[in-house]
Amino acid sequence: MDTEFKPNIVGFLCNWCSYAGADLAGSSKMEIEPSLSVIRVMCSSRINSNLVLSSLLWGADGVLVAGCHPGDCHYERGNYYARRRFALLKKILEVLDLEPDRLQLSWISASEGKRYSEVVNTFAEHISQAGPNSLAHNPKV
Amino acid sequence: MVNGDVKREETPMNSAQDMKNRNSLKGKIVLVDGENRKTIIDLMKQLLEKKCLDAILVPSQVPDTDSYTWLLVQEGSLLDLCDPLPPVMTVQGGKALSSLTKHGEMEANIGALMRPCEIEAVVELHKLKQIDLDHIILFSIDCPGTVPLSDYMRDPQKMAENFKESIKKWGESESLRPICQICDRFSLFPFAPSSPKSSLSQGGADLPASDIHIGLLGGNDEKIFLWPVTQRGKDLLKKLDLSVHDNLEVWESKVEEVREEKLKKRTAFHDEWSTKIKGVDNFAAIFDECINCHNCMEACPVCYCQQCYFDSQLLTLTPEAYLERAQKRGSLRFPLDTLLFHIGRMSHMALSCVSCGACEDACPMSIPVAQVFTAVGDQVQDYFKYVPGREKEESPPLQIFLEDEFGDVETPGDGLETSHGEAKENV
Ligand code: SF4
Ligand code: SF4
Ligand code: SF4
Ligand code: FES
Repeated sequence: MDTEFKPNIVGFLCNWCSYAGADLAGSSKMEIEPSLSVIRVMCSSRINSNLVLSSLLWGADGVLVAGCHPGDCHYERGNYYARRRFALLKKILEVLDLEPDRLQLSWISASEGKRYSEVVNTFAEHISQAGPNSLAHNPKV
Repeated sequence: MVNGDVKREETPMNSAQDMKNRNSLKGKIVLVDGENRKTIIDLMKQLLEKKCLDAILVPSQVPDTDSYTWLLVQEGSLLDLCDPLPPVMTVQGGKALSSLTKHGEMEANIGALMRPCEIEAVVELHKLKQIDLDHIILFSIDCPGTVPLSDYMRDPQKMAENFKESIKKWGESESLRPICQICDRFSLFPFAPSSPKSSLSQGGADLPASDIHIGLLGGNDEKIFLWPVTQRGKDLLKKLDLSVHDNLEVWESKVEEVREEKLKKRTAFHDEWSTKIKGVDNFAAIFDECINCHNCMEACPVCYCQQCYFDSQLLTLTPEAYLERAQKRGSLRFPLDTLLFHIGRMSHMALSCVSCGACEDACPMSIPVAQVFTAVGDQVQDYFKYVPGREKEESPPLQIFLEDEFGDVETPGDGLETSHGEAKENV
């Protein structure tokens, strides 16, 4: 693959688990792929599908949505709703063949600094392999 | 499931076997006096006269014109202009009814006579708490389809003729809207209690949503079939002294026959459209002429937001941001974010799309919006095992969940350890 390609990944992290996990990864000086721009949201259920879609259509090469593990959401059920919305959006992108693999949903708890770095690094690697997002370069989009 | 592999006919609840195993439905066969339309109007008049209903919402012709509209009728004599099956769908019935019940509860009992896809939209809006069905009695009717609104406006007389012809051939007409030609839910069906479609919902039987269904198929303009679906429906017919012990088999088997034909067409439609919508170039090409007027969204009964995301300022960026996007692509297309609008709208309501065609009728650029939304809608509904418009008591699929589901969309990354005991296995 093109070694010059530096992916541009957007990460929506929930405040109570995944953002704290990211914080832990940072303060533990773990190696984290720098291509991820983090956006902190109060809960994974705050993420309207349009936020993910506009990221993807406006130029992100990948979008990561991360929240608390099932059962652990600070608002009890937010991540379950988020998962359904995510599943719907991903299915639509699949049906339309619009780069569904550029979306990822992961559960990362506040104590999982290591897991955070692994999720991000693996996803970044996957996106680097996939190359630039064709949607972001299509003049019709 | 392979994309595009939508096979509604294979859902066990509708299989021929189920149809055979079940006892035939009971209802009332009414002899037609003159024409179907008049017989139905007489029935509605009786309901008003006997105070079974305080008012009834019906499609009506606007006096001395070729236009159709909805009328909330309290005075029986005004029902003469009612047309239970107008040749066009001007305003989707769900939309009309929701403006009536948007604010507050009602004391009065109101009837509403609509096509099946309109009833389905009503049910979706009821689930979203935008229609209160407590005091509303729904009447559905076998529907042959409608002609495209724009064709009708161009030549009302001719299209009204074509529509009449299409009733005779029951839906087999090129003049009808493409979405009606593939409509397999033109009538009401009894469904087996254990439908897998409701396995993700709160359980319970799949019951058609209206209270009384008016069957026309198989009646040859000599009789119509009244099927009281709910207890409320039965009570109402009782008040009219109509006994409901007639066997409705004739209607049922005719419906099944037509339905099989329609299902074949729907499958062919999916074969064609699943590739037409695939890939950014194909998908964008469909919307090449889109002027981003949002009419499709305005006309759609199940686009439920009071304030639409796409009408808000959230999508307005600085000039620099647009320049940056233009630079990335070489050029930037205006109106902006057309695809974002359509895909974003889909990601909100595709699970509730009832394939009614209102969006397509409303599009000034003749874009096949309803066909696109149906092509996607059927697939995502299948994925969620959700049938919109059925089961009033069911919750909308985005407002419920199971703790253990959709495991395959969680991607912790290959071979990643999770330190969390509760976390699910990645499939
Ligand atoms: S889609 Fe067409 S045929 Fe089906 S119920 Fe609606 S108007 Fe009738
Ligand atoms: S998207 Fe179109 S076909 Fe689907 S419910 Fe809305 S108006 Fe009807
Ligand atoms: S009605 Fe037609 S032109 Fe207007 S936004 Fe919808 S698809 Fe585009
Ligand atoms: S607070 Fe973390 S997912 Fe809801």
